[in-house]
Amino acid sequence: MVVKRKVASYLAAIISLLFLSISSMGQRTQIRGFIDGLTTLQNGKVSFGFGEQDLFITSELNDRISFLGESVFKYTPSSPTEFSVSIERVVIKYNFAGNHNLLIGKHHTPLNYWNDTYHHGRVFFPTIDRPLLFAANIIPLHTTGVGVQGHDLGKIKFGYDMMVGNGLGSNEVSDNDKNKSISLAVHIKPVEKLRLGISYYYDVIAKGADVHDRIINWQVNQQLISGSVAYFGKKFEFLAESTIGLNKTDTTGSKQTIASYIYAGYRITEKIIPYVRYDDLQYQDGEIYFIKDNTTSFVGGIRFQINYLAAVKVEYQHMHAEIAGNVDKFTAQFAIGF
Amino acid sequence: MMTNKLFSQAKIGKYFSVCILLSVCLLAKAQEASLMVIGNSKGVPAEMKMSELRSVFMAEKQRWGDGTKVIIAMIKSTTPLGKMVSRRIYSMSGDEVRGFWAGISFAGKFESPVTFNTVTELETFVAQNPGAIAILDKPSESSETKIVLIDGKKTF
Repeated sequence: MVVKRKVASYLAAIISLLFLSISSMGQRTQIRGFIDGLTTLQNGKVSFGFGEQDLFITSELNDRISFLGESVFKYTPSSPTEFSVSIERVVIKYNFAGNHNLLIGKHHTPLNYWNDTYHHGRVFFPTIDRPLLFAANIIPLHTTGVGVQGHDLGKIKFGYDMMVGNGLGSNEVSDNDKNKSISLAVHIKPVEKLRLGISYYYDVIAKGADVHDRIINWQVNQQLISGSVAYFGKKFEFLAESTIGLNKTDTTGSKQTIASYIYAGYRITEKIIPYVRYDDLQYQDGEIYFIKDNTTSFVGGIRFQINYLAAVKVEYQHMHAEIAGNVDKFTAQFAIGF
Repeated sequence: MMTNKLFSQAKIGKYFSVCILLSVCLLAKAQEASLMVIGNSKGVPAEMKMSELRSVFMAEKQRWGDGTKVIIAMIKSTTPLGKMVSRRIYSMSGDEVRGFWAGISFAGKFESPVTFNTVTELETFVAQNPGAIAILDKPSESSETKIVLIDGKKTF
């Protein structure tokens, strides 16, 4: 009985693979995965672990329609199995003219260079983790909605993104209120390898909304204004981004948060890149939507780019946070794509 | 007298070696220079500037002037031709080019090029797919593709 079941499962696997390869040939479907293994040294304790396992699917259905799906399997202590699956991106793209596309689905909110460029696979990150600007939930990482996008237009290679989404507090299938989030972003690439961008985000977060596992007890009118400079040359890498967050409630008025980071790396050889990153989060007194935790962090590390789908990073981080105090940490990461 | 003769022979030998080295370098340079672009008869223009060609291969153009989708076909960057294309068009190593495309396609910006092991497969693909463009290191044997002039020349 057990043998029969095993044979059946093997057969099912082979049929699935066959089906997959046949459909891939017709539609140019690519399936890739990303994962990273980690070792950290903190407070005299060494820990081993692994990051998110990222499953990535891209498919061209015809010369105008394409699909991108990104699902992540990750450690989630609250889950009965201690793991959960999350759909990070589901994007149906329709190329309606030239370099102009209509996008429908769940997207990385196109507000910053980092969020717009990197996905959950760590192998492409220039540092081990995302900057604090993203880790502290200041930028809404994902938006479910519809948008238009254009790129490389004219001599300065102008690009734009305009998106209307469900906004913060919504789930993947419905909006929690009548308000919609608006994302507007433009960028130019005036010279090779250099990208300059600015963006604006507006949302009304309804009273009682559940945002990042926290119930918001006030209606919040949120505006985010961001700017970014990115240069990834043959030798020198530079990335700086800053966001001003304005959260307005009836009781507190408008409170300002400024979150920034600056990254620089220098390619000593084709495969070795030492780098530094400085993060700064500054919240105004009385901020009640973001968790007020003024933080500065310094990261110094070295990246060994074994090849384009394998990188080892070794990093030291010193962080001073209002809530957690001083944190010193050494981390080594082996990130791969497969 | 004897020493002078030996000295001049050594000198001649030296000059000869330098000449051979220079010839080898020039030959290598000449070999590197013989890239050419082919395209499908539909969509791909008959002539382009080098900057336009680079722009196409850097994923900056989704459609040709007549609306046909741009399809980039490439020989694998691990082959000698692939390495040459990586160096001449992208100013990158083959591995860096693969990384460049992986970053772009996984960000959802552009579909990866269709890659091939042999020039024959590459030519067949370009001939069969409207909007397809590719770079070769020798004149195309296919009558179903057209040569795209780069800065007015067949080779660059």
